[in-house]
Amino acid sequence: MRCVRVWFKKMGMSRYVSHLDLMRAMTRAVRRAEIPLWYTEGFNPHPYITFALPLSLGMESLYESMDMRIEGESTNEDIFNMLKGSMPPGIEIVSVENPFNDPKEITYGEFDIFFDCERKTDSVLALIEEMLSADELIVQKLGKKGRHKVMKDINLIDFIKSYRVGSLENRVKLTVILPAGSTTNVNPSLLADEIQKRAEEKLSYTIVRKKLLLENMELFR
Amino acid sequence: MMISKEVEKILPLVQKPGKYTGGELNSIVKDKNGVDLRYAFCFPDSYEIGMSHLGIKILYSAANERNDVWCERVFAPWHDMEKAMRENGIPLYALESGDPLTDFDLIGFTLQYELSYTNVLNMLDLAGIPVRAKDRPDLTPIIVGGGPCVCNPEPMADFFDIFSLGDGEEVSDELFDLIIACKKEGTTKKEFLKRAAQIKGIYVPSLYDISYNDDGTVKAITPKETAPVKVTKRVVANLDKVHYPEKFIVPFVEVVHDRVVHEILRGCIRGCRFCQAGFIYRPIREKSADTINTQCQKLCHSTGYDEISLSSLSTSDYTHLEELMEKLLEWTEKEKVNIALPSLRVDNFSDKLMGYLSRVRRSGLTFAPEAGTQRLRDAINKNVTEEEMLSTARKSFSGGWTAVKLYFMLGLPTETYDDVAGIAELAQKVVNEFYNNPDKPKGKGVQVSISVASFVPKPFTPFQWEAQDTIDELIKKQNHLLSSVKTKKISVSYHKVNISFLEGVMARGDRKLCDVIETAWKKGCKFDSWDDSFLFETWLESFEECGVDPLFYTSRKRDYEEILPWDHLDYGIRKQFLISESKKAYENETTPHCRIKCAGCGSNMINGGECDAMRQSMV
Repeated sequence: MRCVRVWFKKMGMSRYVSHLDLMRAMTRAVRRAEIPLWYTEGFNPHPYITFALPLSLGMESLYESMDMRIEGESTNEDIFNMLKGSMPPGIEIVSVENPFNDPKEITYGEFDIFFDCERKTDSVLALIEEMLSADELIVQKLGKKGRHKVMKDINLIDFIKSYRVGSLENRVKLTVILPAGSTTNVNPSLLADEIQKRAEEKLSYTIVRKKLLLENMELFR
Repeated sequence: MMISKEVEKILPLVQKPGKYTGGELNSIVKDKNGVDLRYAFCFPDSYEIGMSHLGIKILYSAANERNDVWCERVFAPWHDMEKAMRENGIPLYALESGDPLTDFDLIGFTLQYELSYTNVLNMLDLAGIPVRAKDRPDLTPIIVGGGPCVCNPEPMADFFDIFSLGDGEEVSDELFDLIIACKKEGTTKKEFLKRAAQIKGIYVPSLYDISYNDDGTVKAITPKETAPVKVTKRVVANLDKVHYPEKFIVPFVEVVHDRVVHEILRGCIRGCRFCQAGFIYRPIREKSADTINTQCQKLCHSTGYDEISLSSLSTSDYTHLEELMEKLLEWTEKEKVNIALPSLRVDNFSDKLMGYLSRVRRSGLTFAPEAGTQRLRDAINKNVTEEEMLSTARKSFSGGWTAVKLYFMLGLPTETYDDVAGIAELAQKVVNEFYNNPDKPKGKGVQVSISVASFVPKPFTPFQWEAQDTIDELIKKQNHLLSSVKTKKISVSYHKVNISFLEGVMARGDRKLCDVIETAWKKGCKFDSWDDSFLFETWLESFEECGVDPLFYTSRKRDYEEILPWDHLDYGIRKQFLISESKKAYENETTPHCRIKCAGCGSNMINGGECDAMRQSMV
């Protein structure tokens, strides 16, 4: 038995597949591919498949990974070739590797937020620059207080590790690095929603998770 | 799939957007310019319910086998999605192409239960299509209905252009050919309907005049022009030769039955007198174990599912069940595929079958005695004895099961309060059986769950003439049952009686109900089978406004001589047979099942005299 890490992209319509639904869809994909899975040895044997970090519903990603335990002598390339034709629509397999980091080490995520503007992008660019260069950008986040869920005010500026903003035709692209992982997590939609709220024109946006990073800003591999 | 920017904008606002995007594994996308007929197959309920339905999988796959037809799926959007669609002016669209229903030539609805009727109207309206057939003068789209409810489609007669009676697999092809020909010739809708009425199994409601007596009963059903006096349902002769999909669409969103389903037989040999399915799907036809085994394996491989459900009205009546289980277990154990056997009977639950069941993953055991006393079980022809039930319970407890679910009905014809109390007594005997069993699982208690439905008399059953218990009567019986249960080891759950009441009205209704359904829908009724969405008061208002008394349909015992609203539809079951079964019920007299002795229901006659039960009884 050994563990492999399968890297894949989740783009287009598959962004509407929730994390739970993705787990079931990928388990079925692995079964269709006839991967020699290792099964747990309990009363109710099941395959051992885990995902590094859940992706929010509606978000696309270029950098998703799934760990699974396999039996037999298959190489990573064999597994890749088996999986290639079995992925559900919208999921594209990128590579199969040996796991290097523990998913617990994931600290940051790098995201692209694309805003589609109906009019000129200048005012949106200016708005984002203004919001992100201020000392405070307070938004409400659903947090926990003991066992209860409450709305908490947080200052997004404290959490933004770095950002870049630019535009192409009627699209504004905001690239931002935010905490992501098991300890602190800030959903980039909090930022996108706030920009949407403050914009003069009606903006729609999409978010792509591009990378997962460790505490020292190296890539999670 | 190619959903529009407008739809993409509303998807983040709704629950489970994956229900509205299409693009699932094995869904079929064709070039719309390369086909002659576009067919929208609609299930008038939520995605999770519709995607669990086997019929849609079979007919979707069969239609798409043709190069000149593209069949797509449509489901009723849930309340939140409907609201967002209406607010943004988005018409109802099909999941494969994202095109609005108005782009389609044929729109089919499967009518699986009476309480989905308002959803049909709502879906048509959401697509911008007039709900009444007379307000749709153009040839296309043609609206067709199918499924078990079309054995009495009269309450929906004003909304549909045509109905398809019986098995849909073969008649669909003939219908497609006719529509393609009519489109090419540029015929009128009237001409199309005239020709459609000539296809066996196709019922064109607008070609029949219904007149009524002063008391509201049907006086006469008169065919117009060349429409046949009786429309006979279609039957697939051989299940081994009929199309069965090699691929199922695999939804991302979890649906109710998320597994491979295989229909191992159609029809039923039992003839339980309350059961509509047991009569309208006759004659019994079995699939061979080899066919089922091969098809199951292909389906598991194309979907990645890890569970197979062997489906039928009575799975343990399948003659080759042991052979089939052996064949399946050969590969399913290795591939970690679980086999589920729903609809088992207590009287032929063998030790060997028990052995097979314990080799696959253990789920709960469910049995359906239907009635609490032997007398009532005889009256409804359930043909199960108490001893058989207890012996099966004993076997299951020895096999390690500790939870048993028992299905019953309240409000059956001839039922007394003693019969109601008998349900609790029978459940208590099952509990006692557990504690008297030396082999019982150590250190565990037993849980017997009783689930009680309200009996609704249905067309084409021996009880089609019966009065249905009133809401008050059913509530009294429910309370009597609750007070008869003396232990916490027995839990009782039951259906909402208001919903059963409306189901009863629709099941044996006539065309006067069309106005009521339209009124109720306009007042906001939809998803009526969902407890949270069901608006009983609004329904009562709608009956009142239309001057229709619902009790006329439910509480009235009919004479055998009365012309019933569905008398011009022929499901193969002779009326004389139903009358004799109805009389036997009052004598508490049973009818042996079809393999012991042919009861002469007549259904084999529409299958060229063939019936698998007759063949097997001669061996």
